[in-house]
Amino acid sequence: MAGNPAFGSYIRKLREKRKLTDPSFSLRRFAETIGISPTFLSKIETGELDPPAPARIKKMAELLEVNADDLLILADKFDPELKEIIKDQPKAMADFLRTARDVNLSEEGLRKITEQIRKLKH
Amino acid sequence: MNVRYMPHAHIDGAAISLLNAYGRQQGQITHPPVPADEIMECHLRLSLLFDDLRKKFDDPSVLGAMRVDRREVLIDQSLDPYGNPSLKGRYRFTIAHEIGHWILHREQFEMALSAPLLDSEKGPSIICRSSHKKPRIELQADRFAAYLLMPVEMVRAQWEIVTGSREPYVAEKEIRDLAERYRLAESEQRPTVEVAKRMAETFEVSGQAMQIRLVELNLILTKQPPRTLFG
Repeated sequence: MAGNPAFGSYIRKLREKRKLTDPSFSLRRFAETIGISPTFLSKIETGELDPPAPARIKKMAELLEVNADDLLILADKFDPELKEIIKDQPKAMADFLRTARDVNLSEEGLRKITEQIRKLKH
Repeated sequence: MNVRYMPHAHIDGAAISLLNAYGRQQGQITHPPVPADEIMECHLRLSLLFDDLRKKFDDPSVLGAMRVDRREVLIDQSLDPYGNPSLKGRYRFTIAHEIGHWILHREQFEMALSAPLLDSEKGPSIICRSSHKKPRIELQADRFAAYLLMPVEMVRAQWEIVTGSREPYVAEKEIRDLAERYRLAESEQRPTVEVAKRMAETFEVSGQAMQIRLVELNLILTKQPPRTLFG
């Protein structure tokens, strides 16, 4: 395992800040809540080991109050929920994503369309 | 590193004032177990790391280490309480021992680090080994650990709950029976008696550490006290 020092030091920095006022952010208790061993968490934080599974990263994000997608990107991981989303509408959703890619939409463009779709809900 | 002799009362006082300072910040600790890692991480603001120290130092007796300048405490991963719950007592004792170094010996290390004559080491400033002939600095940290995890008032209160009295227990016969059963030689460690084991569970320390503390506080007597004239 190669390890991911950027992810590790980011987690450690956030956790160590929170632990000063909340003991549930101590190495052992935070690891327990995430569902990994303190040794594993310690080695993730030092960058010796790779980040944990996506579900655990999402749990970390929730506890540390940061955006889960940002943390997954930093960990170079993929939210497994996305697979389920495609599976639910295998043809239409795949077509939707491919089309978005084929027309070379910028990030800004994607955001605008997403906003419009969101409005459809109301 | 050579350290000066420190009276036990001084070490005990240092442990008690740390507990009180933690109590003012996070709420008084009235019952065991004393939250050793939280005192270290949240109150003293040290970082805790687990690592394969025994392999890194090529020495199976290394269980803990400290980098004073980086405020880091390293614990050997064999003591990880998640993977080895049965070693939780040893894990907690090692943490408390490192806290002891931080409280009792930090200043000396900081002075040594800033002294121009010394090369600033890249490795940890203190490496702690479990061996039979420990240097004074290690014995002081052990003593601090015992006082921190088993403060006298808490031990006495718990003793009363567990045994139903304030009276000491004369363990001479139980120790002899246990030693015979396990065929222990006279020179070996005393076997752990039942009441020490029960108290150890509450304090989350090893049975041995609990027993040593109870003997020290004269709650366990290893010999029948001599009868006094009026006894």
